[in-house]
Amino acid sequence: MVDASVARRLVDEMIFNLPKHDPGQRPVHTIGVGVDAYFTASDVAHKYCIAEHFSGERICAKVRFSNAPGGPEQHDGRSDVRGMATRFLLPSGAATDLIATTLREFFARDVDDFSKFTKLDKHEPYQRESPWRKILDLLWLKVPRRDPYPGEKTNASAGILSYANQHRFAQLAVFEAKMIGAPVSYVRAAYHAIHTFIVEGENGVRRPVRFSWQPVAGVRNTDPDALPDDDYLRQELDHRLKRWPVRFVLMMTIGEAGDAIDDPTRPWPARRVRVIMGTLTLTGVPKDQATAGERISFNPWRLVRGIEPSGDPILRARRDAYEVSRKMRGGTACPFSNWSCADGE
Amino acid sequence: MANDESWLDRFVNKLHKKPKPWFKYFGAYILVPIWARLTPVKRLPGGARPAIQPGDNVQSMMNLIMPLKRENRSPIGRAKAALAIAENRDQIFAGLDNVGTVHFARFVIVNDNICMFSFYDGDFTNYIRDFIATIGGAFNDVVKLVEGGDALIPCEENVEAFIQWIHEHDLYQVPDTPTDFLRDQEDLNGDKAVSPVNDDLTLLPRKLVLQLRANANVSLGSGYRAYPGFSVAQVRKKLELGW
Repeated sequence: MVDASVARRLVDEMIFNLPKHDPGQRPVHTIGVGVDAYFTASDVAHKYCIAEHFSGERICAKVRFSNAPGGPEQHDGRSDVRGMATRFLLPSGAATDLIATTLREFFARDVDDFSKFTKLDKHEPYQRESPWRKILDLLWLKVPRRDPYPGEKTNASAGILSYANQHRFAQLAVFEAKMIGAPVSYVRAAYHAIHTFIVEGENGVRRPVRFSWQPVAGVRNTDPDALPDDDYLRQELDHRLKRWPVRFVLMMTIGEAGDAIDDPTRPWPARRVRVIMGTLTLTGVPKDQATAGERISFNPWRLVRGIEPSGDPILRARRDAYEVSRKMRGGTACPFSNWSCADGE
Repeated sequence: MANDESWLDRFVNKLHKKPKPWFKYFGAYILVPIWARLTPVKRLPGGARPAIQPGDNVQSMMNLIMPLKRENRSPIGRAKAALAIAENRDQIFAGLDNVGTVHFARFVIVNDNICMFSFYDGDFTNYIRDFIATIGGAFNDVVKLVEGGDALIPCEENVEAFIQWIHEHDLYQVPDTPTDFLRDQEDLNGDKAVSPVNDDLTLLPRKLVLQLRANANVSLGSGYRAYPGFSVAQVRKKLELGW
């Protein structure tokens, strides 16, 4: 179990790096939108996982989409990671969460890595590169640094790049984050739960798995050369859902012996067996956003019988860090279960 | 992106994002050769990566590019290649059936190359050995039209040389992740990284360009599979197609 003081330190370090922070809000993924939804498992899902939401019954769900950065500033159109946190409200009265982002891998293997990362992940002044420097980059067959977005005075890209250059395990996540772009809609992006979980099937077989949400509408980003719009994702989702529901397919990839079970920095080969576990249907953006998303305290460790966490140290750290963060911002503990920080073991 | 750009900023940004033909020419024919000379890049070997995990040993790709001999680089030469496949179709298909580990195989003519693309299970060497043993002389008609092929005829009697030749003509499979591509380069050239590591990720574009100069034809990623992880035998058994 991660020491509570370590979890507190992790959250403090993240908050320390923010240019602005409202103590009543999430320290990361601050800007977001809550959506009503329901989940229907596929015909085969219960064979692979006996968890209640894979029984085939229609399951109510709450989804919160978010922009990864912390702080009150909203920049929807900037290239960055997005989040999709889903709470399944189970008929038994329990609840379980699945937290995913558009990043396929994480940049830290454990708490120490994460701590070192946050020390470099600091905002520094960010200016337009001189044209002469850009010409030099082109002559070196490098891609010139992107120009600052309008109003962008600082960012953490230099520190993150420096961290990746020194830590090969972080390079994939950092590279992908740099190339990630901005989605035209929260529902035009694929989301990955990053960590490995252990699921138990009907026949008692336990399998290491990783989950991903695949958008039925397809993946599409905005034009990276166009001026970014700071505020469009929520309205786009609202307008879209007023016209028709939106669906995501839950894909479960089954790992094999030798795959990185406890290391979220390492992807699994694309040639692993994938199972379609079900379909999530988004139905509307409720007016009461506090209840729909802002007050919900998601936690990747909120699991039910049939799904267990792997030994991934980052997953373990997130359990406590999310709980610390919830308490710091005065968030509501999950009303659907008796789960608490201490129950995780 | 912002509107406080000078004319020079705009010019350079345009050079990068929408380069004029002269700059593309300058990059392709002057800059790239200079960097290739300053930082030589070896050709990465083709074929699927050796693996011990079950999922990595099924549905492997072979992307075989066989350049036609100079005298066959014409419509007539390409027609000969098409005929060589058509005339031996039954033998080739029967051979592939007998190999038993091939999911899909097809022959394609691209410019002056005859190509064979296939998905197979198990070890590459065994696949090619079984393939040439069961197809026998049928493949000689194809091989005699391509560069370096004469030395292999009769293929069924030059099995080891044939396997090596196929391996050399199988495309390098660029990994699914850019960082694995860097690791491939390091494996081939010897990792010169000091400890602690101090890489320069911003050089990735140049490394890719120079690698694509050394390996002009490559397979991009491991490809999409609708049902990854299953062998021919499993699929046939599950679908009750017999053996």
